[in-house]
Amino acid sequence: MRSPRTLEVWRLGTVNYLKSLKIQDKLVSERKSHQIPDTLLSLEHPPTYTLGKRRTDHNLLIPQSQLTKIGAELHYTQRGGDITFHGPHQAILYPIISLRSIGFGARNYVETLERSMIEFASMYGVRARAGNKCETGVWVGDRKIGAIGVRISCGITCHGLAFNIDPDLNYFEHIVPCGIADKEVTSLRRETDALLPKEEVIHKQLITCFAKAFSYDDVVWKEDPSFILDTKDDG
Amino acid sequence: MALRMWASSTANALKLSTSVSKSHLSPAFSISRCFSTVLEGLKYANSHEWVKHEGSVATIGITAHAQDHLGEVVFVELPEENSTVSKEKSFGAVESVKATSEILSPISGEVIEVNKNLTGSPGLINTSPYEDGWMIKVKPSSPAELESLMGAKEYTKFCEDEDAAH
Repeated sequence: MRSPRTLEVWRLGTVNYLKSLKIQDKLVSERKSHQIPDTLLSLEHPPTYTLGKRRTDHNLLIPQSQLTKIGAELHYTQRGGDITFHGPHQAILYPIISLRSIGFGARNYVETLERSMIEFASMYGVRARAGNKCETGVWVGDRKIGAIGVRISCGITCHGLAFNIDPDLNYFEHIVPCGIADKEVTSLRRETDALLPKEEVIHKQLITCFAKAFSYDDVVWKEDPSFILDTKDDG
Repeated sequence: MALRMWASSTANALKLSTSVSKSHLSPAFSISRCFSTVLEGLKYANSHEWVKHEGSVATIGITAHAQDHLGEVVFVELPEENSTVSKEKSFGAVESVKATSEILSPISGEVIEVNKNLTGSPGLINTSPYEDGWMIKVKPSSPAELESLMGAKEYTKFCEDEDAAH
């Protein structure tokens, strides 16, 4: 008889990318030492390009000096995956969870993240699918609607997934998204005729699909985001 | 013997490496839910790395169970030669399915060699986790640490328990 699994969810609104990395570092450390249960951050970023551990900056198609002109930042990270864009109206989930407590490796984890997004898309009548080999992520036909890039350290996850609700897709023109050329990027807005509710509602639906896919028994909605947004820099 | 042959043919059918033909190590225990091979003669960490201790050199890699749970490895980051590694601390990382996973060292010591083939052929970790997919060779600083690692039988049970619990 397994013990009940609880997920604590923080909805943070728009968070600067570097700040979100600091918050995640702190939470990963607290999760490793069992100070907190499995935790999920739900947020958006201002326009930001990010690179993964392999530093595939040849997939950024404009000079870095042009980035401020288009109102975007660039950050190098330790996550897996290639270059991607984050921006307003793209729903991001950063799960800080223990994979060892569910016996998951990277593959099971990523496949379950994909299933979360596919289930969410189906709520709007959008038939999404997991990527083929080497195309991790969620696709509608040949158009990518959800991206994944994660880091696993001592069995604790950080970074996560990004689902395009209605971001400005022009920003994707300046990169080879996820290193896959000749494939389009799309959004929920483009793929459905359904009326989209307020984004707060949409984020909650995505979170619920995540919690269901990972078989959480309890979801605790944390009400005071300032508790972790006001994280002091430790150095 | 029959078990060894069964394991070998099963692994071949599933296109997994068993390393049977190449060394004195034998897959005495290979039944687990993921049909991953576990070799006698190695020691194992509960984070799924293996150690082969020969004289003053310990070779380290990740197990067949680990590579199966990772998916196809596309990138490997290894430490520099002459750097030090510490027991249960990260010494490198692999990337698979858009996930970077840290690799923890089962023992402490000095890195005397790294497997440079993994730069061009990271998939060796999947196809030959105990042989061509070795990651680093270390001069152990505390040989007693090896005693606290699991043997093949214990590790096989550990994997089965881990998979069965979920």
